[in-house]
Amino acid sequence: MKFSDVDVAVIGSGPAGMAAAIKAKEEGAEHVLILERQEQLGGLLHQCVHNGFGLLYFGQDLTGPEYACRFVEKVRDLGIEVLLETMVTQISVDRKLTAVNSREGPIHLQPKSIVLAMGCRERSRGQLSIPGTRPAGIFTAGTAQRLVNVEGFIPGKKVVILGSGDIGMIMARRLSLEGVEVKAVVEILPYVGGLIRNEVQCLHDFDIPLLLEHTVTQIHGEQRVEAVTLAKVDKNKRPVDGTEQNIECDTLLLSVGLIPENELSRMAGVDLDPLAGGPVVDERRETNIPGIFAGGNVVHVHDLVDDVSWEAEIAGAWAARLPQKGDLEKKGKTILRPGRNIRSIVPQTISDQSDVTFYIRVKEMEEKVRLRIGDIYHRAFRVVKPSEMIKVDLLKKELKRLKERTTELDVECEKGE
Amino acid sequence: MVEEKIICIGCPLGCETNLKIDDQGEVIKITGYKCKEGRQYVLEEYRSPVRVLTATVLTQSSARPLFPVRSNRPLLKTQLKEAAKALAGVKVKPPIRVGQTILSNLMNTGVDVIATDDLTY
Repeated sequence: MKFSDVDVAVIGSGPAGMAAAIKAKEEGAEHVLILERQEQLGGLLHQCVHNGFGLLYFGQDLTGPEYACRFVEKVRDLGIEVLLETMVTQISVDRKLTAVNSREGPIHLQPKSIVLAMGCRERSRGQLSIPGTRPAGIFTAGTAQRLVNVEGFIPGKKVVILGSGDIGMIMARRLSLEGVEVKAVVEILPYVGGLIRNEVQCLHDFDIPLLLEHTVTQIHGEQRVEAVTLAKVDKNKRPVDGTEQNIECDTLLLSVGLIPENELSRMAGVDLDPLAGGPVVDERRETNIPGIFAGGNVVHVHDLVDDVSWEAEIAGAWAARLPQKGDLEKKGKTILRPGRNIRSIVPQTISDQSDVTFYIRVKEMEEKVRLRIGDIYHRAFRVVKPSEMIKVDLLKKELKRLKERTTELDVECEKGE
Repeated sequence: MVEEKIICIGCPLGCETNLKIDDQGEVIKITGYKCKEGRQYVLEEYRSPVRVLTATVLTQSSARPLFPVRSNRPLLKTQLKEAAKALAGVKVKPPIRVGQTILSNLMNTGVDVIATDDLTY
């Protein structure tokens, strides 16, 4: 392949990148190129050895590596070009892409379209400002997952996990099975951050205490973590005096949220949505920069891998159409505005009134609400939770009911059924 | 008669259900569920809770020290820890294809342990 004639360049080869590349190829793009910084395709899937992947996409309960294998096979069969151990260092506003690896050195590309599929990374101690010393033994849950499942190291013998995100709970189970004592999972909110099935199958199954409305207020130890101080928090998430307790441990894992990884997007001049954390996209997953698309956790953090792949396929399909058909015409532009109890909506804008799937995340858990999208859609929910993304399919004919030149559409959770 | 609480994991609602159980261990009454599927799940979760075991085993590969595996069918929840221990001594040799049996009839359960990734060298 000559680097000069890439039609679609996909950055990242996780569940989003591979799905986008496959779709682009299937939709007729001739030269599809995946750029991956790791030594193999699959992104984070390799370290996610637990099951629960692909229930929706494949109708089967797969582990992370199994899910990856299915896509890797397709990437190979379709003749999609792949550059491994290759780091994209820059994208410019006019879609010039610079990457580097140890074989070719710097690589300059001018793809006709680009799909951003860089995924997300974990929030770390620095973003939490936990007071105390800086000993060894503090890991993000994902780092611990890599150590235990890929590298073959157990991070410690007595572990406290801060945050009840899915990776944290899954690591609680994994470490328990490896003989580690998981002393507690500590969650600042009054409810669990991850999926219910993980609370039941990772914590309850292994009798791991879950402390809701608690947080870590201090880390102790000089060379190595020796203990952490926990405290109950009030309604404003402030520690309550007199509720402190010390827990002896040698390791603290942090499972406190994921952040879409958008340094490259920023360089390219892509507008980011502070609520979702990633690029502002329309229903084609095109950003404000023509020809730059985005899909998966780089846009917003999904609950399920299946949705990551599906969303990236939308980006891949439209990215493939651009080199074939030139500029893609769009009709109008409607901005979705998050209202009462709505944290984020993706896509943030719609432009041409084709079928759209909206991914909506609420701010707070609430019972008996009605979700409204302008006056074209409403649905009653017995309960909505921040940890469970809401998916709404709107068909073209329903969107037809939008009045001509509607420029803004309010999305909100109304109290009462 | 005893009572047992089981959280349904069928959907995001996460209904907390209550089971009344007689001295023979039979379920007399279930309350707290909101749908038929939920009732069925809770009943099965009471009678024989099962889980798929996922783990890693050691390799003789130069490329990676660990290799991911899982049980091809769910095991009884109570067997999970013992099953994980049984895998501690297993060491696999490449090449291995995803889906290939690594250990058959794990602890005489009739369940096999299978590869969940490819290992070429």
